[in-house]
Amino acid sequence: MTSERTQRSARIATLPRPRRTGVLASLLLLATLLLAACAGSGTTASGGATPANLKWASSYFPTHWDPVVSGSGAQFRELALVYASLTRTDAKGNVAPDLAQSWTYNGAGDEVTFHLRPKLTFSDGTPVNAAAVKAAIERAKTQKDSALFGDLTSIRSVTTSGELDVVVHLSQVDHQIPLLLGERVLQIASPKAAADPAALDQKPVGAGPFVITQLIPSTKAVLTKNPNYWDAANIHIDKVELTSAPDPTTIVSGVQTGVYNFADIAPSQAKAAKAAGLDVFVQPGFNAANISLNVNKAPFDNPKVVDAVRYAVDRREFVDKVTFGYGRATNQPFPPDYVAYDPQSAKLFPYDPAKSKALLAEAGFKPGQIKLDLVIPRDDPAAEIVQSQLGAVGITVNIKIDKTWATTFFAKDLTLSLYGTTGRDSAAQTLTAHFGPNGPLNLSSPYEPAGFEAAIAKVRQTPLDAPNYAQVLREATRAGLASKALVFTYEQPNLLVKNTSISALPAIPGHLDWTGVTIGGNG
Amino acid sequence: MVRRVLALPVGRIALGILAFIALLAAVGPLLAPGDPLGTSPHTLAGPTWSHWLGTDNLGRDVFSRLLAGSRTSVVGALEVAGVALVAGAIPGILSVYLGSVFEWFTLRLTDTLIALPFLVFAVAVTALLGNGITQAMLTVGVLVSPFFYRVSRAATLTVARSQYVEAALICGASVGAIVRRHVWGKVLPPIAVALAQTIGVGFVIVSSLTFLGIGVQPPAPTWGGLLASDLGYLAYQPWAPVAPAALIMATVWASNLLADAIRDVSGEAGRSLLNGRRVARARRAGEAVATRSGGALR
Repeated sequence: MTSERTQRSARIATLPRPRRTGVLASLLLLATLLLAACAGSGTTASGGATPANLKWASSYFPTHWDPVVSGSGAQFRELALVYASLTRTDAKGNVAPDLAQSWTYNGAGDEVTFHLRPKLTFSDGTPVNAAAVKAAIERAKTQKDSALFGDLTSIRSVTTSGELDVVVHLSQVDHQIPLLLGERVLQIASPKAAADPAALDQKPVGAGPFVITQLIPSTKAVLTKNPNYWDAANIHIDKVELTSAPDPTTIVSGVQTGVYNFADIAPSQAKAAKAAGLDVFVQPGFNAANISLNVNKAPFDNPKVVDAVRYAVDRREFVDKVTFGYGRATNQPFPPDYVAYDPQSAKLFPYDPAKSKALLAEAGFKPGQIKLDLVIPRDDPAAEIVQSQLGAVGITVNIKIDKTWATTFFAKDLTLSLYGTTGRDSAAQTLTAHFGPNGPLNLSSPYEPAGFEAAIAKVRQTPLDAPNYAQVLREATRAGLASKALVFTYEQPNLLVKNTSISALPAIPGHLDWTGVTIGGNG
Repeated sequence: MVRRVLALPVGRIALGILAFIALLAAVGPLLAPGDPLGTSPHTLAGPTWSHWLGTDNLGRDVFSRLLAGSRTSVVGALEVAGVALVAGAIPGILSVYLGSVFEWFTLRLTDTLIALPFLVFAVAVTALLGNGITQAMLTVGVLVSPFFYRVSRAATLTVARSQYVEAALICGASVGAIVRRHVWGKVLPPIAVALAQTIGVGFVIVSSLTFLGIGVQPPAPTWGGLLASDLGYLAYQPWAPVAPAALIMATVWASNLLADAIRDVSGEAGRSLLNGRRVARARRAGEAVATRSGGALR
């Protein structure tokens, strides 16, 4: 054997120089291939032969990774990779266990105790216990830059009872709390990491399905599977590369070429994605877009002008031209199949431009006499549709793109604007955000439609599993729709594209849940 | 100058294209067959007799929008060039005559302006002053002005050190008189070249800014805005970006051709070039007459 090797070495040594180099290069290549093969034969966390990598291009890449600062907006889906919460929702939108395996209300309905799963830890080793949950709720209520404190006004205080029981004391009877303390509002960070909120914002630490290993702010995050996640057995993805989506027109090419394998896309790109053989699907949700009016400012201080706007809106045009048929028309803050959607109000203020013109004439306005600025944060075809539809009844609208829109909108300084919500798990939260006197989406604060406060209080007092819950919720929606501050237009679809190797996601409304999802059949 | 430029084929092509674009800007919006802002249910339709370039995502006639958008694009480019000319050429000429303090100050200011990326700066200024084509173009014009400053200063320096200017000074001519009588005529050709080039650059800048949605408020059409909008619907209308892109390209190309033509015909070199062409033409004509009279081609 030794002599054979010596002879072979001698033969290589005696080869002409170019040929010798070629043989050495071939051996090197062979060795590399063998090494690669050895590496590939190892099993991954998901048990598959090759790592299951999710390469997700997101239009909602989080600006902040501290959930308290990030708030309950659309980027909660990305943060949910890292953070778990007390509860989650199921495919029907009903509340389901997450870190809390169960919860119980007291008889009066003003105190709820969450019972945590035992022996859980955050990714930094800190235990997930009652003290950690208490600290998370208190931080969301008190941190100076918290975007969540407005959502937690029903919570008076939090105490612990033993290691695993968290008692939430309420300022009013509120059966919405289990829905409220889900992924949208209470993603729980490690109390040890949250001691320095600025550091947490750069290096998030939670007890969710993944652990962040690299974060380039506003650009990219790399996450690996969290083996200590309570439901780790049902997570079949080894690694997530979350990238801030580039120009919408390039996303389909990115997925087609394998740069990404999952992305949210604009409806205008769905045709290209389908033509490329990608899997285009609509994740159920409760998105709703609206025209926001300020009834504290002229001309909307005249109810007839508000009604004229309501009758001037042709919702079908938004569906056809903005959503390319993937969305649906709605005159409520929910899509038509949602539990809080009120069928009785479905035909409220139908498209009737003649009636709209008549109302304007009754209000004493000639065509073209009303001139308004429609202030929006970025170019939006929906704004041009609003301009065209209001123009058709005699209201001149000037579109104004204002990069500081958020400041003026939430300060309620604008007269006319547009807003699109991705909804909330708690329908009561969605309703109060739109119609409540201090609702962030109520451009006419402190205006509140008559009867809304009583209706929403009744919702809070009704247990989620009560037989009349849906009816009470719809009555609250009906009361809210008396508001003159909002004209709802259409449902924006949660349009997503994925490589066909990724299995279907659980159809949980408004959420992107990776439980049970496989890539390349690795489950 | 115009006659000399027209004597060159490239000059005629450039002026022809630019005249056509100017005509579009002047009467294009009046010629538009439809309402450029009028929406319809026929979205992303292909070309038909009623919509020559089809319709956009909101069902608006693309041809009408292209015509309506020409004025904004042309006026924007001219604003850039005009502001750059005034803000650059005048200080450039005066820097030679108004003393070392003015010279030092304008040179440092020019260096600073050159260091600023004009697209980024235009974005920042429109964010500060509000989104409008005028403020965006004023900003870009000022940032492009160092080009004129340098060209005019270099040309003035050459003239200022010539013997006839020194003779005029000795004879007691004022600085104003020297600039008017001796400098301006010599400095004008390089400035004209720079102006033609800057109009082309201005078009690119206007188109880039409007492509990014800066400078105009929707739904006002611009060529850059149409191009940006078309790119979002390539799956429906892959040919749609051709028309606005061709108009932008043709205008920029014509501006650069015009700059080349002005450069070729200006100064002594230009005069000799034209004279040479004239002589060559005359010679060819003479040969043709001789050939015909000799009957050699039969």
